[in-house]
Amino acid sequence: MEISIIALPLIASIISGFFGKIIGDRYSEIITSLLVTISAVFSGIVFYEVIQNQYEENIVIATWINSGTLDVNWSMKIDSLSAIMLVVVTSVSSLVHIYSIGYMSHDPHKPRFMAYLSLFTFAMLMLVTSDNFIQLFFGWEGVGLCSYFLIGFWFKKDTANAAAIKAFVVNRVGDFGFALGIFLIFYLFGTVNYSEVFEQIPTIIDKKLIFLGLELNAIDLICLLLFIGAMGKSAQIFLHTWLPDAMEGPTPVSALIHAATMVTAGVFLVVRCSPIFEYSELALNIITIVGMSTAFFAATVALVQTDIKKIIAYSTCSQLGYMFFATGVGAYNVAMFHLFTHAFFKALLFLGSGSVIHAFKDEQNINNMGGVWKKIPYTYTLMIIGTLALTGFPFLSGFYSKDAIIEFAYLKGNTVGYYAAGIGILTAFLTSIYSWRLMFKTFHGEYNNKAIKIEETHESPLVMLIPLILLAVGAIFAGVTFKELFIGYDGLNYFWQDSIFFLEPLSSDHPPFWFLILTPILVIISIPVAFYLFLKNKNLPKQIAEVNKPLYQFLINKWYFDELYDAVFVKSSKKFGLFLWKFFDLKIIDGFGPDGISSLIKKFSIKANKFQSGFIYQYAFIMLLGFSALLTFLIVQ
Amino acid sequence: MTEIGLGHYLTLGAVIFSIGVIGIFLNRKNIIVILMSIELILLAVNINLVSFSIYLGDLSGQVFTLFILTVAAAEAAIGLAIIVVYYRNTGTIRVEEIDKLKG
Amino acid sequence: MIAHAIFFYIFSIIAVISAIMVTASKNTVHSVFFLILDFISISCLFIMIGAEFLGMIMLIVYVGAVAVLFLFVVMMLNVAQQKNQWFLSKSSSGHIPIGLIISAIIFFELIIVIGGWKYKPDLFSQNNLFEDQISNTHSLGQVLYTDYIHIFQISGMILLVAMIGAIVLTYRRRDRVKTQSYLKQISRERSEGVELKEVTSNEGVKIDD
Repeated sequence: MEISIIALPLIASIISGFFGKIIGDRYSEIITSLLVTISAVFSGIVFYEVIQNQYEENIVIATWINSGTLDVNWSMKIDSLSAIMLVVVTSVSSLVHIYSIGYMSHDPHKPRFMAYLSLFTFAMLMLVTSDNFIQLFFGWEGVGLCSYFLIGFWFKKDTANAAAIKAFVVNRVGDFGFALGIFLIFYLFGTVNYSEVFEQIPTIIDKKLIFLGLELNAIDLICLLLFIGAMGKSAQIFLHTWLPDAMEGPTPVSALIHAATMVTAGVFLVVRCSPIFEYSELALNIITIVGMSTAFFAATVALVQTDIKKIIAYSTCSQLGYMFFATGVGAYNVAMFHLFTHAFFKALLFLGSGSVIHAFKDEQNINNMGGVWKKIPYTYTLMIIGTLALTGFPFLSGFYSKDAIIEFAYLKGNTVGYYAAGIGILTAFLTSIYSWRLMFKTFHGEYNNKAIKIEETHESPLVMLIPLILLAVGAIFAGVTFKELFIGYDGLNYFWQDSIFFLEPLSSDHPPFWFLILTPILVIISIPVAFYLFLKNKNLPKQIAEVNKPLYQFLINKWYFDELYDAVFVKSSKKFGLFLWKFFDLKIIDGFGPDGISSLIKKFSIKANKFQSGFIYQYAFIMLLGFSALLTFLIVQ
Repeated sequence: MTEIGLGHYLTLGAVIFSIGVIGIFLNRKNIIVILMSIELILLAVNINLVSFSIYLGDLSGQVFTLFILTVAAAEAAIGLAIIVVYYRNTGTIRVEEIDKLKG
Repeated sequence: MIAHAIFFYIFSIIAVISAIMVTASKNTVHSVFFLILDFISISCLFIMIGAEFLGMIMLIVYVGAVAVLFLFVVMMLNVAQQKNQWFLSKSSSGHIPIGLIISAIIFFELIIVIGGWKYKPDLFSQNNLFEDQISNTHSLGQVLYTDYIHIFQISGMILLVAMIGAIVLTYRRRDRVKTQSYLKQISRERSEGVELKEVTSNEGVKIDD
């Protein structure tokens, strides 16, 4: 049964991908959605087993590489960590499949889309169920590849193609670091299987290596390299530039890949390698700093964005920053809990925004929306639920997970922890402001759309609403239901067991009461603040923007990261490539190779042609020359 | 110089041979002159053979000359027949215009 | 011996000059005549040194048949008169120095061979010696039909093939001449020649041909 969890999406993808034209659109949709849903049900069963009976298993499917000391298998490792990921990935994926049936109903390439979605699901499942770094890398690359396919799904659009390439290339930078990390692990331990590596970590605590001229602790180096990979995949600061542009893909893609699954692969990696990360204080601090910087950065940029999907994309970036800084302070289980709840409400928000876009007939700019909360009530209600969950409104799921992160940061005790907690609270406030900004601008106020009349906006069909409702249920109840399991004190021994490693047990204190209610109060205050700013006094934001023009420009240009990278990396690569092509390729390689040889042969054959003049006396002359030469040779000899 | 030995005859043969060779590729008139130059070459060879035969007292030289004579006649006949047919087909036997072998 | 030398020089100089004139004269018919002169002088040389059969045969065969054949063909084809000597015209004067150099080289090499070789008196074979009592023709006949009979027959074959070849190459059938092919006449069948037709009275017969 476990193997079918990962096999069914693959089969669905193959059927829809290769035979989609033969079996028709409707059947390919039904088959893929059905198979992935079955996979989700099985994952639920496995999760239940893990919770109830502490089911833990490592199923070896086949041997992949057996060369020298390198022994790598295709396998499924089922423990609590992978069980959570299985549930998240398959359930969100199946809901997205069903949603896509409705959202992509006007698209002519439905089978291809469904095939890519299922292929992505397969790759992600391979990633989370691997028991060695190589299969993890296989899944890692697989999801990157499917992300390229899906972002560039509408391949006739230039911007979509460019965005897909950007995603792949930026990911590749991260993958390079990741690959170096895996090589280093193999070099140091001679194996890439998790269990063997994790056993041997304590033995090399004091080992030092020389890397690029610096002397570093070996474990620090491994962790940093692995984290670079996580940064690329999870769009942390410096390697985040691909995520907003990835919104060129269809909305279901954004919901699946860039909210719930692919971007969480980085967090999964860090948590899975917690036995390694726990021994490296330096790497953990760096992760915390990077995480909170990302959270803050993304929240500030989201404040001024006008595209509805980009706001939610930056919000994802910010929440990922939260998850990373949770791992940085050592609270791996809290990070996983936030991942779990985030998957639900972020997917809900994305799919809901897809519903809004569908209602406004493919309009994505929130300045052109407004005032439709009565016309599309279901979407409105579901989006409100999602926003409440995202901001951490008390008693919804985001409240439990986000506040737990901030608490644990505070409890860590050192300066990094305090600093992180402070930024976390500030970012929560900003998160709430921009989320409510989105809601008010989209659904309230005047109707600003110039293209269609308000009577033409309509609610989405049932096939799109049902997944939204299911996700909303998850967003509301996932927090309170699973809180004890994930982050309760008993959970550590009972649920997580060996899948996460803690060097010192997490503290079970509680922070002071004033600290605990600080965040919820800020979140609740932000609602009327946002209401005032964006509905009542519309001019105030404009005035603030006018007064702080440089700051506004800085934010709206995404802190000028794209421009910086363009100037430093892109231009010089382009120049180098151009030089290589024009000079090296054309003149030298072609000149000495095909073109040169062919022109040389042509010259020679033109000269040789003169010998065949057709005049017999010239032939006789040549014969005579030869004869005299022979004679001379014989005489001289 | 007054004592004519084998060398003088051989020199004569060499001279006629060279003149025949010049005639083949230096002439610009017509093909028939080439054929005549070939006859000259064969004649030079005959002189060589006969002089050797006389001076060594061996008759095989003269016998071989007889056969060379035969072959030269046959070859002249065939060559002229070919020239006649070629002239019928192309209308010219000037050397510069015979370049059908041009590749 | 002096007479020998004088005659040798006369004949050889005539031969060399006429050889040069074969290639150098403007008129092709003159070239043929010079060729004939060449043959005659060489044949006299042969007679002088004692191979008289060969000299006679050369006169008969070369001059009488081959050169006359040349003359026939030259007169039959429309051979244009050259305006200038070929070594004076501009189009070909570039080639002359190289050609002369090459043939000079060949000539000198031949001379070197001759000069470097001393007569080796032990080279001649014991058979086929001259006998003073019989004539050259008689002795040639003795050798030709006994030791060299096979080559003799083959040279006959060569002549036969040459004859057939010359006829085959130049044979053409004239279109406008009406000839009878008796083979076709004899092999005519009744079915091709006679046809029986039913005739109705007063109607006549249509003969389609």
